[in-house]
Amino acid sequence: MSAVLDLLRAHAPMAALALLFGGAAVALMTPHGRTSWVLALIAMAAAAAVAADMGWRLLAAGGALETSALLAIDGVAAFSAPLIAVLMFLALLAGGSTLADKPKRAQAYVVALHLAVAAGWVGALFARDLIGIVVSVHAAWLATAALVAVSAHRGALNGALRMVMSGGAGAAFMLLGAALVIYATGSSAVAGAADAMISAPRMATLGYVLLIAPLLLMAGAAPLHAWAGPAYGRSDAGLVLAVASISALAVVTRLAAVAATTTAPGLADGVAAALVCAGVASVLIGSLQAVGAVNVRRLVAYAGAAQAGCVLVAIALESPAGLAAALVQLLAWGVGAFALLAGIAASRDTTLAALDGLGRRSPLAGIAITIGALSFMGAPLTLGFLGRWRLIEAGVGAGWWWATGAAIITSLAAVFYGGRLIERLYFRRATEASNFDVDAWRLARAPVMVAAILAVACGVAPAWMLDLAQRAAMLALGLTT
Amino acid sequence: MSPEFALAALLGAPLLQALLVLALSRPPGLRDLVHVLGSGAVAALAGYLVHAVSQSASPRIVLANPLPNVELAFSAEPLGTLAAAVVGGLGFLHAIHTSGMVRAIDQKAPARLMAFSALTTAAAMAVMFSANLFSFFVAYQALALAAFPLVAHVGDDEARTSARLFLAMLLGASIALLLPAMIWTYTLSGTLEFQVGGVLAGRIDLLSANALLVLFVLGIAAAAAPPMHRWLTMSFTAPYPALVKVQALAVLPAGGVGLLKVFAYVFGPALIAEETGRQILAAQILLGLCGVIMCAAAVIALSKTDIRERLAYSLWAQALAAIIGGLLAAPAGLFAAALQIVATSCAATTLLMAVGTTAAVTGRNNVADYPGLGRVMPWTFAGFAIACASIIGMPPFSGAWSKLWLITASASTGVIWAAGLVGVAAVLTFAHLGPLAANAFAGRAPTDAFKRPDGASILLVAPVILGAAATLGLLVLADPLASFLSPVWTPR
Repeated sequence: MSAVLDLLRAHAPMAALALLFGGAAVALMTPHGRTSWVLALIAMAAAAAVAADMGWRLLAAGGALETSALLAIDGVAAFSAPLIAVLMFLALLAGGSTLADKPKRAQAYVVALHLAVAAGWVGALFARDLIGIVVSVHAAWLATAALVAVSAHRGALNGALRMVMSGGAGAAFMLLGAALVIYATGSSAVAGAADAMISAPRMATLGYVLLIAPLLLMAGAAPLHAWAGPAYGRSDAGLVLAVASISALAVVTRLAAVAATTTAPGLADGVAAALVCAGVASVLIGSLQAVGAVNVRRLVAYAGAAQAGCVLVAIALESPAGLAAALVQLLAWGVGAFALLAGIAASRDTTLAALDGLGRRSPLAGIAITIGALSFMGAPLTLGFLGRWRLIEAGVGAGWWWATGAAIITSLAAVFYGGRLIERLYFRRATEASNFDVDAWRLARAPVMVAAILAVACGVAPAWMLDLAQRAAMLALGLTT
Repeated sequence: MSPEFALAALLGAPLLQALLVLALSRPPGLRDLVHVLGSGAVAALAGYLVHAVSQSASPRIVLANPLPNVELAFSAEPLGTLAAAVVGGLGFLHAIHTSGMVRAIDQKAPARLMAFSALTTAAAMAVMFSANLFSFFVAYQALALAAFPLVAHVGDDEARTSARLFLAMLLGASIALLLPAMIWTYTLSGTLEFQVGGVLAGRIDLLSANALLVLFVLGIAAAAAPPMHRWLTMSFTAPYPALVKVQALAVLPAGGVGLLKVFAYVFGPALIAEETGRQILAAQILLGLCGVIMCAAAVIALSKTDIRERLAYSLWAQALAAIIGGLLAAPAGLFAAALQIVATSCAATTLLMAVGTTAAVTGRNNVADYPGLGRVMPWTFAGFAIACASIIGMPPFSGAWSKLWLITASASTGVIWAAGLVGVAAVLTFAHLGPLAANAFAGRAPTDAFKRPDGASILLVAPVILGAAATLGLLVLADPLASFLSPVWTPR
């Protein structure tokens, strides 16, 4: 047993991917939906444990960076892979109770797709070269689109179609971008640009912009998030939404890791400018859309765009403080979005009116949504506050005072839409629209509370998390910790 | 009992009170008993802390370390302790009054009202005892969130609109203005601790000091500096028990105390320009703005016929007087401001409770219906009249002391016109409150039937009388208070 564990630890990235892909295959072959779900949970939990152990060894215990021909672990991946795996596990656990709504034959496919999404994003985080990123990202993206497509509501097909179409175009751009970067830097390795003597900086910059733009699209960053509205608004289960949200998180994480390697002279300014433009646009457009949203799931999608904007601005700083701020912000976004989406899943309807009186009918869902909303607002003693604080601190430290504005706009908008959510939860009487979904909520209860507790616990005692984020940022930027 | 334990218990007691009120919401008698006892415990603990601080104790508790070198910490210093003691003591009276009110008017969801009232007290106490800007920010946001349900309690469209505005204004200003100010302060001084003498003294240039002052004054919207006052004048739609809490016992006083802490412990001498020896430009502009608006608020109050709205504008004018005291950037001004907050809190609580009692018994909220009511409700209107006199600043009531100190401080710092504006505002306050109190006794007693013909219960009248007594009691406390507060501007 210990030999197996040692082997898993020695080849942790490969082991995590093997567990996810293997789990997907086993789940697919299992005829009984509930059994395949249990097997998938085991595989996902094992992968999460392997990723967490690897991240801990690398960041907390100061272990060596692991590389192989295909896979390489940088600081960002070490920090984010466990997070994404754990969130995926929670999403799968929460979605178990709605699995029965699917046709029996589709249940195993849904579970397998879930694992494929996780494998794709974790693979993208671990990919050593640009082509590996492109392949992994699109595998995960297509699996996510397929998950959206199997929703009961036909409108979700529209969202899935948009995801596939935009993903296809994105793949072409990413491949072109990768080719330009490889040509300009002479290396296909993600870390290659950091030390490379770049012969054609403009071409390299263009290449990175072409690489980054599709990632922004997949992250749901405004204004490239045309798929997000229909996909979020029409999908029928919190599981799918949570997966989509975690996917966005993974994309931005991958983007952060890529951007961290673009510090070479002649390249950094161009990439940073592109990220700043995208970040500010996403903050402004996402915040406006979230304030005006009447569909609660769309609201979360647009709020996510604003959060993504903050992360992009932090990444654009290209400093350890900025990257650490981005990682904290990512964590806050992921946990907050999960708490919101899984909490909202307690209601069948997707309009804001569905939340009326939910705080009384389902206090735990109410607490989760409240904490998610507070974290998005950046309320003190939540993860969201830490993210904002770190972003502003890093921005001010770099002389980017205007970055404060991005954080403040995001928080102000969140006060409006978050306040509206809280008001509906606790200060309105239940209407016909507010249909409490007992089945959906049965298994979602535990994961959603884990997310909510995490959002507060990390906000109250964040020292270890801030330390890990700082170490991850230093490692990603090739600096000693 | 150690002072540290008392401080922790003081912050925790209202939270426990809120939980118990919700858990023991039936029978109503038990609920009310828990609410009153909880408030009594808070008052007793605050009184104990006043004693401890007067004996040079400075208890401090640290709850968490959310950021490097930044603690979530609370400490008992004279300014916050005094305000907490006054708010705690009055809160006990208010709890008794609330018990009477919810019965008299069949208030919907009384347990929720009491629970959020207790939570608001907890947050207000946390604001007053905050040991640094971060803790202040946390407590301030908690205060906005805890008071929001009080404003929205009625649940109709009007209440919802007011509550949304309340939340948007308090949280919005704190995020958009106070948070950047806090981070800017941290960048300049490397600390967020409240320190006697001001953390920014000697570390900030004139331009930054001006900009930071504006950010702080407008960012702490609970202090109601214009134009961040709309939450106050819109919140009059709340039920009376909530109204007292928001306008007299928690949000407005906490905002005032918070702003004074910023003036005393963050800026200190940084509010004075070295070249001229006068207040920095932003302080002078804010002084002028607050002075003029204070008079305007008193005039607007005169035009309001709903007593709750009239009192909201009147209290806004009083809150501005406290800001003026702080902006004078002198020990006398800070003392005047502290006294103004304390005196206003006493008088406003008494006044609003008296108005609530009147509404519960007679169903009347319009000032035109007040003449003669003093003849049928003599005790309630005696309290009403004393509170009005204090707010107006009529000697020898407690409000007169704070006005006197304010005028003295204005004159001694060379801002004579501010003293003039304080005087004008007092006259205008007399115009909108004086005749009301006088006519209540001088007018003919109304002959039409009251909503409750059996009159007000002891629960509704006794707190008003005791509140008025507290207002009178402050008369003899000016010197001890000055001595108690002296460490705020003079390091021990």
